[in-house]
Amino acid sequence: MNFPLEQPIFQFFYWLVNTPGVGAGVVGLLVGAAITTFALTLRWIASAKDVEQEAYPYPPKL
Amino acid sequence: MQQTLTLHDRDELLTPLYQFDRKFWTTIAALVLVIAPGILLYIRQLVLGLGVTDLNRPVFWGAYLVNFIFLIGVSMAGTVISATLLLLKVNWRRPITRIAESLTVFGLMTAGLQIIMDMGRPDRLVFTLLYGRLQAPLMWDIASLTLYLLTAIFALYLQLLPDIALLRDTAPATAPEWRKKLYTILSLNWRGNKEQWTRLEKAMLVVSIFIIPIGISLHTVTSWLFSTTVQPGWKSTILGPYFVVGAIYSGIGLLFIATTFARYYNKHLKEYITEKFYENLGWFFIVMSGVWFYFTLNETLVATTEQETLEFPVVAAKLFGEFAPAFWGMNLLMIAATWILVAPKFVSDKPSRNLFLQTTTGLAATAISVVIFALLSLRLPALSDPNLQTGLLLAFFLFFLLALLGVTKWLKTRLITATVIASAFVLFGMWLERWNVLMPTLTHARLAPYTTYHPTVTEIAVTISTFGILTLMFVVFYKFFPSVSVWEVEEGRALEQGSGD
Repeated sequence: MNFPLEQPIFQFFYWLVNTPGVGAGVVGLLVGAAITTFALTLRWIASAKDVEQEAYPYPPKL
Repeated sequence: MQQTLTLHDRDELLTPLYQFDRKFWTTIAALVLVIAPGILLYIRQLVLGLGVTDLNRPVFWGAYLVNFIFLIGVSMAGTVISATLLLLKVNWRRPITRIAESLTVFGLMTAGLQIIMDMGRPDRLVFTLLYGRLQAPLMWDIASLTLYLLTAIFALYLQLLPDIALLRDTAPATAPEWRKKLYTILSLNWRGNKEQWTRLEKAMLVVSIFIIPIGISLHTVTSWLFSTTVQPGWKSTILGPYFVVGAIYSGIGLLFIATTFARYYNKHLKEYITEKFYENLGWFFIVMSGVWFYFTLNETLVATTEQETLEFPVVAAKLFGEFAPAFWGMNLLMIAATWILVAPKFVSDKPSRNLFLQTTTGLAATAISVVIFALLSLRLPALSDPNLQTGLLLAFFLFFLLALLGVTKWLKTRLITATVIASAFVLFGMWLERWNVLMPTLTHARLAPYTTYHPTVTEIAVTISTFGILTLMFVVFYKFFPSVSVWEVEEGRALEQGSGD
């Protein structure tokens, strides 16, 4: 009978969930990916050029 | 998109940001007084250790963790409500979205503090990361909370961006230089051209889609965390959705209180945050109340019916034991809140001579029912006779009913007051619900002798301090940024007039 942990893929999963510090690494990756995405989105918004020369609403015409 | 800002809007929404009047400083001073004792007692806890609290094995989570779950709940709702209303294109959402989103950010920040306060050695917090394993539910909680906090900050910032540019461009000459500089940096060179508006709205849409499942994951992860401890009362599949429903329910309550506080603080906001918002979100509040009652019944009924050896003492402690005042108090608060929201809709606003519908009758009956409830909760030896207890219970229900009937007509013409009272009841009731989930289980833990838990002065002061910090964040933040999203309100007006694109 094959024991799942004889297979490298399950050995990897075992290492992934059981190794101290790896959990923080995964959280770090998740947080890092989120921060990078948010920063790139803000850069994408800020860098938008006015192609049609729309009226600039700020400062408002009072 | 062409935006127009009237002089009227500028006066009402932006000018107060530069006025540090007596009202502001009095609020700050009052909040400092509320927060200071908690901070001092926490420093004492830090020096002397957790012995100054009533935390001990097996009750290793107490008032701090109740606060944590409560705050996670109320904060979950803010951005989720805002995102849902945005996706559904609900127009009346516009004046309240910013308050809702900021509540999420501040709620999560204060919730995070509770974890640190619950640790005897907060300097060891870093060990949870250094030695944290992916299989540990605590890691899932950290991942979910951090991701939700970051996404909520991002959602709030996106929504603030055009208004920060507005502040940058309309700052009065008397405004401090550092403040002008702050707005310039934070506005990220926002020019408000068509392409920027298109990109901003796309980003807001994507964030709104993602933040709803992240928000739900945050609160269900907390319930998973409980389930994996295999403690009686926590091994329940209903706990996840029950937490989410409770979170949305209490979150709406906090949103009502925060918007009313903002309206009180800046009288001009009454023009933007109108009764329409209280009426519309109030219906959803009533729906959530019904769902919450169903889940509460479900959770209690299953454990009562199965009478499992380990589970039943936990339920019995809630129904008849030491946690009965908290459990029945929670239910009575929720019944009163639902009545306050629903009943006034079914009575006429004409004056009535019926004695049962008089406000004085209602107030007198409220006072009597509170006294009877307190007497029953104190379990005085003099009142231990079962016949006397039954009589007191019947008297309580009679006066409780009279109290509800008596205030109905008074509330009929006071929609906002009624909503705020109901919200306060729901918030207090939901704090008790979190207490009722945590404490009966921890004091009746598996494989440990039964014990008791009574929060000490330190824990009570830190709890009060936490809510003070939450309010302080709210007050200070809205002295720098408008509490109503100016651009969204203007956009809404343009759409209503049919001139928006």
